Parts: sequence; C-alpha cells; structure tokens
Amino acid sequence: MTSLDIAPFANALVLGLSIASIWLIAAIGLTIIYGTVGVINMAHGEFIMLGAYTSYALQSSFGLPFLLCLPASFAVVALVGLVIERGLIRYLYNRPLDTLLATWGVSLVLMQGVRLIFGSDPKYIAVPEIFQSNVEVGFASLSVFRLVVLAITALIVAGTAYLFYRTRFGMQVRAVMQNKEMAASFGINADRVYMTTFALGAGLAGVAGSLFGVLAIVLPTMGTAYVVQAFLVVVVGGGTLMGSVAAAGLTGELQSVFAFITNDTFARFLLYVLIVVFLRFRPRGLFAVAKGRR
Amino acid sequence: MLLDLDRVTSYYGKTPILKEMGFSLPEGQCLCVLGRNGVGKTTLLRTIMGLTDRTSGEIRIDGDPIGKAPTHVRAKYGLGYIPQGRQILPHFTVKENILLGTFARTDGRQDVPELCLSLFPYLAQNLHRKAGLLSGGQQQQLAIARALATNPRILLLDEPTEGIQPNIVAEIGQTLGRLNKEFGITLILTEQHIKVARKLGDAFLMMENGRVVARGPIREMTDELIERHMTI
Repeated sequence: MTSLDIAPFANALVLGLSIASIWLIAAIGLTIIYGTVGVINMAHGEFIMLGAYTSYALQSSFGLPFLLCLPASFAVVALVGLVIERGLIRYLYNRPLDTLLATWGVSLVLMQGVRLIFGSDPKYIAVPEIFQSNVEVGFASLSVFRLVVLAITALIVAGTAYLFYRTRFGMQVRAVMQNKEMAASFGINADRVYMTTFALGAGLAGVAGSLFGVLAIVLPTMGTAYVVQAFLVVVVGGGTLMGSVAAAGLTGELQSVFAFITNDTFARFLLYVLIVVFLRFRPRGLFAVAKGRR
Repeated sequence: MLLDLDRVTSYYGKTPILKEMGFSLPEGQCLCVLGRNGVGKTTLLRTIMGLTDRTSGEIRIDGDPIGKAPTHVRAKYGLGYIPQGRQILPHFTVKENILLGTFARTDGRQDVPELCLSLFPYLAQNLHRKAGLLSGGQQQQLAIARALATNPRILLLDEPTEGIQPNIVAEIGQTLGRLNKEFGITLILTEQHIKVARKLGDAFLMMENGRVVARGPIREMTDELIERHMTI
C-alpha cells in the first residue's frame, strides 16, 4: 500500500476517533447515571438539548464567551437534574419500568418547555474564529473544533475516572453500586450519593449539548439525534466508564471505516446489526456493571 | 446502659419477625444470641442496624433514641456490623474494604487503623489484593477489620464462624475475645457454635419464634436449655 492509498484510510481512522469522542461525550453522563443509580434515563437527550440552549441563551443574552458557556451549561443542567432526582426519580428507585416512563415524560416536558420559551426555529452557538479553521492531522484534515471536542472528552473521562477511582467520593459511589446495604451500614448516605451522581451525569450531558450546539444546529428535538448513540455506547460498554470508553472507540472507528468502504447509511446499518449480534452473545456488554446494586 | 431495646417489633413486609423484643446491654459485655435457624437472630441485628422494612418500639444508644434514624446515621453511633455471609465488597481491594469502615467514624480519621493491621497480619500483607480472591476465613477477618475501622463501641456479629474451617474458628474466637476483654468493645454475637458462645459470652439470650424465651449469665446456659431450644 502506498502512502497515497493509506491517506484516505488514515483519514477515516482519525475521523473515527472524532466520532468516538462525540458519542462518548454524549454517553458519559448516561453511563454515570445508569451505572451508579441504575436508572435508564430517557430524558438524557433532553439534558443534552438543555445544555445547548443554556449556552445559546447565555451567549445571546449576556455575551458570555463560548468556553465559559461550557461550565455554565454544566451547572445549569446539573441543577435541573438535581431537581428532577429529588422531585421525582428518588421515589421510583427499584421500579425500573416506572423510572423509564417517568424520565420519558420528563423528556417530553423539557422539549415542550424549551419550545414554548425559545420557539421551534433553529439557534446557533458562536465559537471563536480559530475553532472554525481546519488542521492537518497526519494524512487527515480535521476541524479544530472536533479536536476541541476530543480534548474536552479526554479531560472529562480522565476527571471522571479520577473522581470515581481516586477520591473518597468515588469510593462511596462504587460501594453503593456494589452493595447499598453494606455501604449504608458503614455510614455512607446512599441517597445523597444517588442525588449527586444523577446531577453529575445531567451536568455532563449539559456540557455535551453545549459542544453539539456548535457541531450542529440547536433545536428542541436535537437530543433525540444523540441519545440513540449514547444508549448504544452504554449498552455495549456494560454501564461502566471504561466500558463506555471502549465501546465508543470501537463503534466510532467501525462506523468510520465502514463508511469509508461503503457509505454512511450502510455503515450505520452494518454497525447496528453488529451490535445486535454482539448483544445476543454478550447481553451484559463489554464490562458489566456490578451486580446487586440494591 | 450502652444499648437498650424496648418492646421492639420488626417486620419484613407485613410479617412481624421480631416480637416485643427487649433487653439492655452494659458497656464491655459480650451477649450471645442463640436459637435455631429462622427464629429471628439475624433480624435482631438487622433491626439494630436499621435494615428491616419497619420497626416499632424503641432502640437507644447511651439513652439516645436511634429507632427512627437511617442506617448510615446509626453507624455513626458506634455500631460496627459484621453481617452473615460477610458481604465484603469483592471488587474492592482489601485496603478499600477496610477504608469503607472509616466513613462511619466521627473523629475524621480516614486511614487504615493500626489495630486492623496488627490483628490481621495477612490482611496487612495483602492490602492491594482484590477482596473477592480471599478465602472464607480471610474474608471473615476482613469483615471484622472493616467493622473495626468504624471505631465501634458495639460490634454486631452475625454467625461469624459460619462456613469457616475449624482451625480458623478458634482463631476468630480468640480475636473476638481480645476485642472484648482487651479493647473493651461490646459484642452482640449470634452463634451456632455453643463452644464459641460459652468461651466468649458473658450473657446469653435464647430466641424462639421471634421472642426471647430464656436469658441470663452464660453459666446459666445449661445443656438442657440448649437441648430444648437449639436441637432440631
């Protein structure tokens, strides 16, 4: 294979990495909420959408620079998540079907609420000019903003891993995941752990939304476009952080390589078929979450 | 009195398992709770820890009512719990399992207590080993070390010698004896091994059908009582 032959393939691999980072950042909040709290959060897409609208609103109303919109979106959506967890979800733990329906209801309320406030027309989030340029990465050409997404995703994964595996808070979370009764018997307030992790997961969805608002347009329905990929990553990964990293990397690269060989639509079809077959033989995903959460 | 139970009835769902239970325990004593399987011994310990569905009556530690407090708050009153089957966290290392106990401490200490390491040298040498890889006896040591890390005033031990090799049973009995006599930790112990109970206990409580049917100093735990309430 000559360097000329390698170039488009290498380009596809780099693009795959970029796709993986987008899917991962969409999935990471969902992973935390599912892996820790055990809730299948159907409103995750709308948390992403809220993050995008938060950035849009802060930018258009107060002229907040984009990089400050990211932590602001985290804070606002985390607060929304906290209110939803305290006001609704905490009464439904141990009732997975009810939680599923309740979070789906929440997603509809959030979508319609945003539509009422901001209307249905598309909004745009502005970024510094440097983010709009392209750079050469080896054989591939990639937008700077996609690299920003990649870097932020890496930072968030590293930060989350540090929080969960190197701090006392993380130890509390992992203890509650393994055995809620035992964790409580040793002074850990599981209720508070659930509340905090739900808010954290929601906040990270907010950051994702803020980034996606730049990659695409901001619409009340934008969350649904990302939530499918997010669920796929969580399911394939098994609900753990490292599982999601591996699943996003794998599916992102496969999608990009399949698209390189065939086309985008067929690549997605093939990827979904592969995932279904994979789950047939490994229904608990790559790295299954601890049993006996509660 | 360090611990008081006053007419405590405890339920799983709507079914009462513990019925009108009452006793007082002075500091430093070792109380052995005996009875056949299913009489409510485990439920008694779970009730004290706040792990049952519903409880009526009152539980007090040093006169403070804790009956309405959630489990994580009770743990901070100095209750160290060693459940049946040990329930160590298999995905945690030995060190992480011990550190889990420090969340119940009220003195702010967050390190592995020296006592845990000196009592159990094997654990001290294997702090970074996954707990799920330990043998039954080692896991029991870990469960005791984890409870000790809470800096407990009362240790609640549910069948600590169950499923353990006979030579390890004696070792665990010795350790518990030291904790009680040397370190002054109060013990409540549910036990099937009469020998262990006689060796460790200051007092006994015989249960049947969720109620206390006999109690007294351990010397009054006669063979006749054991025959009547414990043989199948």
